[in-house]
Amino acid sequence: MISRRTFLHGAGAGALVIAIPVPALAATGELAPTVLVRVDRHGRITATAPRPDIGQGVRTVVALLVAEELAVGADDVRVEQAPGDTDRFGSQAVANSTSTRQLHEPLRRAAAAARCLLVTAAALRWRVPAGECTAVDGEVCHPRRGRLPYRALVADAAAIDPADVPVTLTPPHQWRLLGRTTSGRVDTADIVAGRARYGLDTRPPGALVAVVARPPWLGAKPDTVDDRATRALPGVLDVFPLTSPGEGQGGIAVLARTTHQALRGRDALRVTWRAGTPAADSRQWLADLEAALPAQGRPSGPQRTYRLPLLAHAPMEPMNATADVRPNAAIVWAPTQDPGSLRTALAQQLALPPASIRVEATLAGGAFGRRIEPDAVLEAVACSTRAGAPVSVLWTRDDDTRHDSYRPMSVHRLTAVTDDSGLPVRRSHEVVTWPLTVVPPFADPAVIRASGDHFPYSVPGDVTITVQPAPLRTGFWRAVYAGQFGYAEECFLSELGTRAGLDQVQLRRRLLPADSRLRRVLDHAAARAHWSRHPAPGTGRGVACHLDYGSAIAVVAVADAASRRVLRVHVAVDVGVALHPSGVRAQVEGCVLDAVSTVLGAQVTVRSGSVVESSFSDYTWARIDQTPDIDVTVVSSGADIGGLGELAYPPAAAAIASALAAATGTDVTGMPFGSDVG
Amino acid sequence: MPRYRLLVNGRRHDVETEEDTSLLWVLRESLGLTGPKYGCGVGVCGACTSHVDGEAHRPCVVTAAESEGRHVTTIEGLSPRGQHAVQRAWRELDVAQCGYCQPGQIMAAAALLAREPDPDDDAIAAALRDNVCRCGTYPRILAAVRHAAGLLREAR
Repeated sequence: MISRRTFLHGAGAGALVIAIPVPALAATGELAPTVLVRVDRHGRITATAPRPDIGQGVRTVVALLVAEELAVGADDVRVEQAPGDTDRFGSQAVANSTSTRQLHEPLRRAAAAARCLLVTAAALRWRVPAGECTAVDGEVCHPRRGRLPYRALVADAAAIDPADVPVTLTPPHQWRLLGRTTSGRVDTADIVAGRARYGLDTRPPGALVAVVARPPWLGAKPDTVDDRATRALPGVLDVFPLTSPGEGQGGIAVLARTTHQALRGRDALRVTWRAGTPAADSRQWLADLEAALPAQGRPSGPQRTYRLPLLAHAPMEPMNATADVRPNAAIVWAPTQDPGSLRTALAQQLALPPASIRVEATLAGGAFGRRIEPDAVLEAVACSTRAGAPVSVLWTRDDDTRHDSYRPMSVHRLTAVTDDSGLPVRRSHEVVTWPLTVVPPFADPAVIRASGDHFPYSVPGDVTITVQPAPLRTGFWRAVYAGQFGYAEECFLSELGTRAGLDQVQLRRRLLPADSRLRRVLDHAAARAHWSRHPAPGTGRGVACHLDYGSAIAVVAVADAASRRVLRVHVAVDVGVALHPSGVRAQVEGCVLDAVSTVLGAQVTVRSGSVVESSFSDYTWARIDQTPDIDVTVVSSGADIGGLGELAYPPAAAAIASALAAATGTDVTGMPFGSDVG
Repeated sequence: MPRYRLLVNGRRHDVETEEDTSLLWVLRESLGLTGPKYGCGVGVCGACTSHVDGEAHRPCVVTAAESEGRHVTTIEGLSPRGQHAVQRAWRELDVAQCGYCQPGQIMAAAALLAREPDPDDDAIAAALRDNVCRCGTYPRILAAVRHAAGLLREAR
C-alpha cells in the first residue's frame, strides 16, 4: 500500500502545480483554505471580496474566479463583502486600477486549494488515485466510483493537512466562466429589483440623520450661529459645529429624526461666516497657472498650450456615511473605496484599538476616486459620538458638487522638434498644476509625473512640472494626472499630424515599436473604424493611444461637425487576459462617456469664492442622447493581467477632442472643446 | 403632523409627516422602500423615478400630500419577482455598473414602453434623457430598452 503522501504527490502530475502555504483550516468543520474562500458543511461556497464594489465589478470577478476553480456556476458562489481589516485582507483600496491585478491570483489559489482538498478527500474515500477524480458541478466524479457532492466531503477535506496536497490551477484553455462573455454582474438581480443596498440605504434601528451647513465660500468659518428657528422645528434634536479634518470643510450640523427634518432645519439656520477667500475666481486661477509657465526662448518648433478645468466626481450616490459609536466600540457603514485604511483612521480618531472598530463597505453608487477619502465617515463618527446614537450623515447633491475634492486645473505647454516630414523627433511638455491636497505625496513633481506621464512613443524629450499651491481641495479623479497629461500629449500629436498632413494612425505606428502591444491594439482599432476609408463628409476622426496599469489601449473617435456630436468610438484594449469581458467593455464604455462629458462641456467653475455648479442641471454630464455607438474589441495578448478601470479615459478624451477638431477645423486648446475654461 | 393615506405598490399606508415632505423621503424612510434613490432632490437626475398612475414621476419633487389618491409604484412594485421585461432585459444585457441610477432608468423605460411599445432610438433617448447615469451605461440602456420591447412583443 502506498503512503498517503506519496499517493497525493502522484496526483495531478503534468498539470500546472503550485504548492502554496495554506493557513490553518477553520475549526468549525468548514473548509477554508484562506480568508477568501470557504465551503461550509452543506457544501455552500462563500467567496470574500476584500475590496469594495464601486461599479467596477470586482464582486463579479471574485465570484467568477472562485466558481471557475471550484467547478461550480457563478450563481453557486455567494460573495461576502469583507469588513475593513488590513491584517486579514492586505490592502483593500480600490485605487490605481489594482483590484483584479492584485486579487486574481490569491482568489484562484484559495479556490483551487479547496477543490484539490475536496478531490483528495473523495480519492481517499474511494481508494483511487486523485488524478482519476475530477470536480464537476459541485461534485467530485470518478469514472467507476460515481460521484460525491462537496457537502459529503467537506469534513474529510478540512481534516487533510493541506501541505500534503499540491494545488493545481485550472488552465485557461479549460475555463468555462472566465473569459466568457455570458456572465453578468453578480449584483444585477438585486439592482434591477431595487434590493441592492448602498450607503444611503443603511439605517440601523434608532438612527438619526445629520446634514451640515457648509461654507458658502471657500475656506469660510462660521462666525455667528442663530439656530433658534431650527431648534423650534419638529424632529430637530441638536445643532452643533462640526470640525471636519478636511481643510476648508466642516460647518454647522443639524441633527434630526428624519432627512426631511434635518434639511428643513438646515434651511432655517442663520449663520454668518468669516475668513476664507470670498473673491476667488477660477478664471484667475487659470491665469495664475499660465503665468507660472517657465520663461522660454523662441520656440524651436510647433507649440500649443492646453488649459484644463476643475472637474467634480459627482457620483450618483452623494457622499454619505452612517456610524454607531459606543463608549468602547464603533461600527460604520459607508460606500468607501478603502475600508481598511478607514478603520485605521477611525482607530486614531476614536483612540480605540482597531479590533473594536467594524467598517462595513456597502455598495457604492459610483466613486471615481472621491471615496478614497474618509471625510464623510469622520463626520458621521463625530455626529454619532455627540448624539450617543447611530447617525447617518447625508451630503445633498449641492453639498457633493460644491464641496468636492476636485481634479486640479492644469496648463500644458507642448513643443516639438520635427523632422522634414513633420514627424516629432523631440518633445517638450511643460506642466503647471496643483497637488492633490487630500493625498500629500501628490505634491511631489516626481509623484505627479509618475502618475501623469505615460508617453508611449519613441520620441525623447523633457517633462517639466511646476506645482503651485492649490486654492481648494483637490483629489484623485479617474486616471488621476494621466487624464491631463495624456490628453494634452495626444491632442498635440494629432495637431502635429494635421499640420504635416500625415495620417494619424500611420504617424503613431511609426513611433511605436513593431510587435508592441500598443501597435497591435492601434491596428485593431483602426481596422474596426475602417480607418483606410475616407471619413464621411462633415465628420472628422481622432485617434489616441495609452499604455498604463500594465494594459494597452487605442481609441478611434468619429465626430459630426454640424451637431458637434460624437458618433462612434472604436476601442481596442489589451488587458493581457480579460477575466470578465462584459466587465471590461463596461469599464471602457464608462471611460468613453466620461470623455464625452468632459470634452463636451462638464467643468466646475468658481466665482466670488463659490463653486457655481450645484447639480446635474449645470454640471452638464453626458445624457443618453449624447452617447456615441461604442465598439470595444478585447484583444488577449496573454500578458500578465493589467488594470482597466481608468485606462480608457485619457485616450478617449484625446481622440474625441481630436475628432471634433478634425470635423470642425478648430484646434484643440484645452477642455472642454471650444469653450472657455474656468 | 398631518396624516396622509397613500397607495403604494398596491398597498394602503397611513403616513404621518410634515406637509412639505417629499414623497421620496416618505417612501424611503416611512415605508422602507429604498429602491427609489436620492440623487439630487431637485428632479434633475432621475434616480428616484417611480410611477404615479402609471406615468414616470420624480418622488423627490412631489409631496406626500400631492400623492394622495394616486397609485404610486416604485421599483419594488414593478413586478413580483423582478420579471418585468425591462428588468429581464437589464439582466440579460448586463446593463448595470454601480447600479445606483438603474431603478430610475428601469422605471422610466417601463413607463415609456407602456405607452409606446415600439420606440425608436430617438424616442428612447427623449424619454430617458433626464435620467443621468454617471457610470456611462447609456449604450447598454439603449440596447436593453430595444430588447425589452422585443420581449414584450413576443409575450403579446
